[in-house]
Amino acid sequence: MASGGGELGGLFDHHVQRAACDTRAKYREGRRPRAVRVYTINLESRYLLIQGVPAVGAMKELVERFALYGAIEQYNALDEYPAEEFTEVYLIKFMNLQSARIAKRKMDEQSFFGGLLHVCYAPEFETVEETRKKLQERKAYIARATKNKDYFMTKKKLVTEYKDTKDFRQDFHSKKSGFCEAALNTSAGNSDPCLPYSCELPLCYFSSTCMCSSGEYENRASSSSQYGRNRDETVGHCNHSDSLQKVQMKTLKTPVACPGAQKAFTPSEAVDRFMPRTTQLQERKRRREDDRKLGPFLETSTSSNEVLIGPLLPDIPKVDMHDDSLNTTANLIRNKLKEVITTVPKPPEDKLEDVHTSHPLKQRRRI
Amino acid sequence: MAQKPKVDPHVGRLGYLQALVTEFQETESQDAKEQVLANLANFAYDPSNYQYLRQLQVLDLFLDSLSEENETLVEFAIGGLCNLCSDRANKEHILQTGGVPLIINCLSSPNEETVLSAVTTIMYLSSPGPGSHPELTATPVVQCMLRFSLSANTRLRNLAQVFLEDFCSPSQVAEARRRPAHSALGIPLPRTEAPQQP
Repeated sequence: MASGGGELGGLFDHHVQRAACDTRAKYREGRRPRAVRVYTINLESRYLLIQGVPAVGAMKELVERFALYGAIEQYNALDEYPAEEFTEVYLIKFMNLQSARIAKRKMDEQSFFGGLLHVCYAPEFETVEETRKKLQERKAYIARATKNKDYFMTKKKLVTEYKDTKDFRQDFHSKKSGFCEAALNTSAGNSDPCLPYSCELPLCYFSSTCMCSSGEYENRASSSSQYGRNRDETVGHCNHSDSLQKVQMKTLKTPVACPGAQKAFTPSEAVDRFMPRTTQLQERKRRREDDRKLGPFLETSTSSNEVLIGPLLPDIPKVDMHDDSLNTTANLIRNKLKEVITTVPKPPEDKLEDVHTSHPLKQRRRI
Repeated sequence: MAQKPKVDPHVGRLGYLQALVTEFQETESQDAKEQVLANLANFAYDPSNYQYLRQLQVLDLFLDSLSEENETLVEFAIGGLCNLCSDRANKEHILQTGGVPLIINCLSSPNEETVLSAVTTIMYLSSPGPGSHPELTATPVVQCMLRFSLSANTRLRNLAQVFLEDFCSPSQVAEARRRPAHSALGIPLPRTEAPQQP
């Protein structure tokens, strides 16, 4: 301990606060100015050192503030630690590492009783056993995180087997693969990775990884609400970067497959080829006319018909896309559809044709 | 995580990492290289990124950077390896591509963090119990750890003790003590502390 001497900022190199970096390229600038530093499991610790605490007898308040982030095992002032005049240095030991990490992130550079706190890890206070535990926990965490990924990947495979549109997707995927070569492994040529989606998994990474198709994807996401009941299982859920932590690698492939899924027609349809949008719209129009003729009997028959495509009158299933803007869009469309559908019976019979033609026009207005 | 880069919404995580790797390879500025490497090393802390990092060959990038003259780059590179090497797939890649000698070399660095990261990496690459990967518990390494375990640097001392207790057999330790320390010459203790008497 003698080597550090009485320098301000700390006895150890890793206690010293480094200057924030201001020469970062724009694309990789963070939200807050940060120093250039690598955090490894060695540096992190349940022990936090807090410097810059104004010497106003506020230990209790300090501990209370930190306790917001997790249970504290012990705390004490470090009187012999070099400190600026009128400030004190404290050591707080959390019950678990995660609390300490959060506390450090939140409390560093925060003001406290008129002073600016500097919070850093203090692994040198650990015992051998604590260090050992720390390393083991990290290893276990990674094993768990990786195992979960494997679990999700096998689960996706199981879901594929229930869907007959596997081949369709494969073809569709191969058409789209040009966009995403950089993003996808070559193994994506197999049917399995081109995966579908069980409803509980977040589907879509960003469409951004397949930049060319992103515009298309948005349209399809918004039109998904028009599809029938069984579509719940194949609607794209788009998550943004915050939830990327939970999104598995395979979902990179899903933006490609998503549009494909949403185009998945009945098996009786031309499942193996890509249907252009205009054809799809005409199909829908034709079906709508058929449905209208069927009238009230439609609802009862749909429940037994697994693969009905086209607007399910009058009840459109609500789909939560886990994204506010997409949900808003979907709701707007849903409401609009409701409006349109309810106004349809009102006009007299002779105007029916006009409505037919105007309906598709309204439908066709894509966001 | 320490650093949270701002992600341009039009670029996904993979795209961002790709941009970092490209910048690292193309830039001539040492500062930029350090920043980018630190960024990548911090990404290596999160398991959800491992697929991307493998795909972009960032593991090889870290291993190559261990031979850089710039000490900071070495520190960040070994830090990155330390963060990701306990994952099975990453571990196999490192072992198969001959990364072990490079990591062992880091034990002789004068930079404290480098040495600490190297010791931890060696531990994560070994399975518990001796004999899994012989290079990692070879006599020079064990001798080095013995010296570290007597160090005044608490962090180093703790790590070395865990290594000796959990990853070496008693016979390996005894052998290392018995043999003359020639093979451990050139593995000095890190700079931050006073020179030790042998």
